[in-house]
Amino acid sequence: MELLDIQGSVTPEESRTHIRVPLELHEGCGRLNVRFEYAPKNLEDRERALELLKESYDLYILPEQREQAVARADRHLPLKNLITLSFDGPDGYRGACHRHDEVQELFLASGEASPGLMPGRLEAGEWNVTLSLHCIVTATCEYRLRAWTSEREESA
Amino acid sequence: MTWIACELHTHTLHSDGRQTLRELAEGAAKLGFGAIALTDHNTMSGLAGKADIEREFGLTIIPGMEWTTFYGHMVTIGLSEFADWRQAGRSDIDRGIAEVHRLGGIAGLAHPFRIGSPACTGCFWEYEVGDWNAVDYVEVWSGTFPSIKTDNRRAFGLWTDKLNEGYRIAATSGRDWHAQEETDEPVSVTYLEIEDEGGESGAASAASPDSGAAEPSRFGAETQPEEVGRGASSAAALAETRLIEALRQGRVSVTIGPLLTMALESGGELWSVGSSVPARVSARAASAAPTSDVPASVGSQGEEAADSVEAAAIRVKLSLDFSVRRGLWTLDDQVFKLKLHSNLGEELSLDAPFKAARPEEVGVGAAESRKALLERGALPAAPGVGTAEEPLRLDLEAELPTPAADSPRSWLRAELWGTARGAYTRIAFTNAVYFEHEEGKNRL
Repeated sequence: MELLDIQGSVTPEESRTHIRVPLELHEGCGRLNVRFEYAPKNLEDRERALELLKESYDLYILPEQREQAVARADRHLPLKNLITLSFDGPDGYRGACHRHDEVQELFLASGEASPGLMPGRLEAGEWNVTLSLHCIVTATCEYRLRAWTSEREESA
Repeated sequence: MTWIACELHTHTLHSDGRQTLRELAEGAAKLGFGAIALTDHNTMSGLAGKADIEREFGLTIIPGMEWTTFYGHMVTIGLSEFADWRQAGRSDIDRGIAEVHRLGGIAGLAHPFRIGSPACTGCFWEYEVGDWNAVDYVEVWSGTFPSIKTDNRRAFGLWTDKLNEGYRIAATSGRDWHAQEETDEPVSVTYLEIEDEGGESGAASAASPDSGAAEPSRFGAETQPEEVGRGASSAAALAETRLIEALRQGRVSVTIGPLLTMALESGGELWSVGSSVPARVSARAASAAPTSDVPASVGSQGEEAADSVEAAAIRVKLSLDFSVRRGLWTLDDQVFKLKLHSNLGEELSLDAPFKAARPEEVGVGAAESRKALLERGALPAAPGVGTAEEPLRLDLEAELPTPAADSPRSWLRAELWGTARGAYTRIAFTNAVYFEHEEGKNRL
């Protein structure tokens, strides 16, 4: 049963914010499936990337080492968008998937779950998927979040 | 008391690691660790199967989680429940730390000076800590061969600054270990000194304060960390508790080679790292110390005065144990510098000559292969130089200088300096011993 299929667009100004997406889980749900994807992953505009890096070096690197850092900036390229997902059920936190994959197919069931998520009873009621926008470096970043349930634990 | 070799910052494929918990534990056991903390980013799901894996590899796995937030990464360990990392704003990390404490855990700043977003999202510590007393530890060494890295030098400096400001904060290393990859770089180890189990603890605690003056028995030939790790898995929860307690109390020593320990002694009492020398002892040492204003007395009175000075002085006992993780680290032959640092700066520097195994001695057998041989050299005191039969140790003793009355010593740590991979750097350091002072006399 499909629970949601939403799309959105975020910008660099929304870096360091969370988007909380509620889900209503029905009784007798055997498996919660989620597919999340976002694009672009990388900031391809090299000049813009170097500009962003230079700004961050001013914040994070000692003045006497900034020049050297700029000369070695390539080690930090390409700059990447990072959005991670975490899950909450009526009974509490159900884990997070903190990794860089721009396409994530995830599931939660009583006996098993995707790495990062905690298997256990799929309690009926309000769940939340939280999108954590750790860093958006591209002018815009489009995401799509789909969730559906299946009666059986196994994937269809 | 026993020192356990720990790796306190690790990841699995439950976050962005490229290893299972089993692979991580196997790799840690091979590197001689007695305990690891699993600190996946924002999840504790990777702990599934922990008990079996602990048994299989004979090490303790401390539950933990790295708060991977927008304004800093914070390693939290020793909690069984989840504390929510998503609520922390830049100015209220104190609430998050309080929650970690409420759940029985402790919290440390992870790699506080690693470059932040966008290169490494949230990696640089930007939280405004309200109360530094709430911070349990700072990961001052991050990654392999940590001591030569600028980010870590800054973190080490932050720790020193906080000690100078009067806070009691522990310092650790963490590899931030994401994958089983070979490295040529020295691996750092955080040693935690834990209370011994049940029956042994009585004997150990009885031995330390009383007989301690005669010999530094607490750092003697105790059980090897590897063996303790193996035994501890049957009582994993107990082992976890003792390790967390050790870190909370600052019974910590960090190294890329030998285990460096320090204890202070005065009038038959001993204080090891993490503990506090009471105000009366500091005051006694200060008042008994000869000063340039008072001319040296003569005759029997002079002898008495010398005796009381002797009794009141604070002596520092340093020990280097080269037998730890035998064969798993190498350093070239050299004369190390053992330095004592405090809020007063560098107070003492002693020579500690080190001679590693000769090539022809290698390959006799696993146990014999890397036996480091020490030469006495021109040492002030070296009663514990190892032989082939006993653990290889170097013991040094010195009297602590008496600080000027208007600038008391508030903390002291030992550091081992030497050359590693061609760079002159810190090889090891202990956490601090603290000094209490009477009201009004404390600089702080």
